[in-house]
Amino acid sequence: MNTRRRERIIDEVAAGGWIENGMTIAIGQPTPMALVRQIIRRGIKDLTVVDAGFSLDLLIAAGCVRKVVSYYAGGGFGYPVTPMFRRAAERGEIEVWECEEGILCAGLQAAAQALPFLPWRGAVGTSLPEVNPDLKVFSDPIRGETLIAVPPIKPDVTILHAAHADAYGNVRHLGGPGWIDLFMYRAADRTIVQAEQIISNEEIRANPWATTIAAADAIVRAPFGAHPFYSRGFHVQDNEHLKAYADAAQSAAGGDRAALDGFLDRYCREPATHADYLERIGIKRLLALHEY
Amino acid sequence: MNEKYSIPELMAVFLARQLNDGEVLRVGVASPVPEAAVRMAHLTHGPNMDLVFLGVRMNVAHLETIPMPAYGWDRRVVRWAESYSDTGHRFDRVKDWSNHVFFIGGVQVDAYGNTNLIGVGKDYRKLRFRGPGSVGTPTLSTHVGRYYIVLNNHNPRVLVEKCDYISAFGYGRGGADARAKLGIPGGGPKLCITPMCVFDFDDDTRRMRLASVHPGVTPEEVRNATGFELTIPANVPTTPPPSDDELTTLRTRVDLAGRLQR
Repeated sequence: MNTRRRERIIDEVAAGGWIENGMTIAIGQPTPMALVRQIIRRGIKDLTVVDAGFSLDLLIAAGCVRKVVSYYAGGGFGYPVTPMFRRAAERGEIEVWECEEGILCAGLQAAAQALPFLPWRGAVGTSLPEVNPDLKVFSDPIRGETLIAVPPIKPDVTILHAAHADAYGNVRHLGGPGWIDLFMYRAADRTIVQAEQIISNEEIRANPWATTIAAADAIVRAPFGAHPFYSRGFHVQDNEHLKAYADAAQSAAGGDRAALDGFLDRYCREPATHADYLERIGIKRLLALHEY
Repeated sequence: MNEKYSIPELMAVFLARQLNDGEVLRVGVASPVPEAAVRMAHLTHGPNMDLVFLGVRMNVAHLETIPMPAYGWDRRVVRWAESYSDTGHRFDRVKDWSNHVFFIGGVQVDAYGNTNLIGVGKDYRKLRFRGPGSVGTPTLSTHVGRYYIVLNNHNPRVLVEKCDYISAFGYGRGGADARAKLGIPGGGPKLCITPMCVFDFDDDTRRMRLASVHPGVTPEEVRNATGFELTIPANVPTTPPPSDDELTTLRTRVDLAGRLQR
C-alpha cells in the first residue's frame, strides 16, 4: 500500500484538461490568466463563467462562453463596458445571469453550505428578479420581510491565482485573499490554484494562520501567471497590453475581427505553455512591471 | 460660467461640503468627482472620516498631500490602508451602515432617483445598449444611510421619467414610504448632482426637484436638458461656487494631477 502523501502540483496544460465543454467556471482575482489562456487554447466551448472585466471579455471574444454570471463588465481604457461582452449581450449571443456582488456571494455561499438558497436584501425593489427569474422574491417566514432567495451558484471548477502554495494544496494569498476567491473556492467541486511560487511544507507549517486555502485540488506553478493583470506583491497591471486588447476588441465589436484574432492567436493559441507565453511577452516587459 | 474653476471642480467642492466628520465614505470605480470630494472633506473638516476605496479603508488626514488612489487592489494604494474591509464579506455589518455614505452613477437615472446600470432597451435579451452591470450598487443603496447620485452628463437620455431597468432602488414610483414599505433600511438618495444643477427630493412625493443651478445655467436650460417633467420652485438659488481657499485646497492637496480641471 502506498503511504506517501499525494503531491498536487500539475502543469498548466494538464490543469487545462480539467475544464470541459459546458462546465461552470469561477475565476478569481488576481486573475489566473495562465489557466484562462489554456481554456482558450484548447477551444473549450459553452462555458458558464463567473468573472468580471477584461478576462471575461477575452473568453467571450474567443468563443468559449455561453452564459455569464455577471455583476460587472466595466472596462476602462475609454470603454465603460468591455466591448465583446457588450456586443455578445446586445446580440443575444450569450445568456446573462444578472446579479451583483452581494447576490454573487450569497449564491456561492449557498452552494458551499449545500442550501437550496440563501436570502439577500440588496436588490429588493430592483429589476434584477425580473431579468433573472432564478432570483425569487419571497416573504420571510420569521418576520415577514421582503427578501430575495438566491439559488446556489456552483462552479465545477474554480481557478485562482495566489502568491504561494506548497505541494499539498496549502495556499497563501499575499496580503489576504481579497473579496471573492474564498467564496469561489468554498462553492466549487474542485479548485485549481496557480501560484507565483511554490514554497515548502515546512514554511506553511511555520505559520499555519497564514494559509488562506487549506485544500486546493491542484497547484500550478505560474510566475507572472496573472499577466496582464496585477499580482499583489509581484507586479502591477500591464496597461499597455490591456489597452491593445481593448482596442482590438472594440474594432471586433464594430465588425472587424482581424486585430482581435491576431491578438488571440499571438497570446492565447500559439504559445503552448505558460513559459512560451512569457517568452513572447519578453523579459524586459515583464521586469518593467515592478510594483515599486 | 466663471472661468476660475471647472464644473467637475465645482461639483467636487459642493459634494465635499455635504459630508460630515465621523462618516464612512465608500467610493467605487470610475468616480473621480466623489473621490476628490471625500478626500477634500477629509482634509478640510473630516479628520475622523473613514475612506473606503474599493474595500480599502484608510484615514489619511495626517498626510500633507495624497496621491490619487489608482485601484484598491494595487498594493501601492494599500500602503495607506489600515484595513482591507473585504477579507471576510464585502457586505458585513450592514446593520451599522447608517453613517455610511455612497456615490452612484447610472446609464439612466429617473425622476424618483432609481438608477440603471443594466442597460437601455425594452427587450432585455436584445438591449440597445448593454450597461456594465450592477457591481455592488443594489446592496450599497439598500443599506447606506444616504447616497448621492453623481452624473458626468446631463441630457434627456440619462435623466428619464422611468428607467428601463432599475439596478439600485431609489424611491421606486415615489411616496414618502416608498422604501419603508419594501423594508429597505437605508435612507436612499439625498441629492443628484449633474454638470448643470443639483436636484433634491420632495419629502412627500420623493420626486426630484430643482434645488440649485450652477453659475451661468438657467432653470429653463435644465428643463430642456431633462427627460422628465421637472418641478421648478419659484426661486432657484445658484449652487455656491468654490471659494479661493477651497479651490487651492482641491488643486494643491487633492487633485494634484489636475484630473478635474480637464
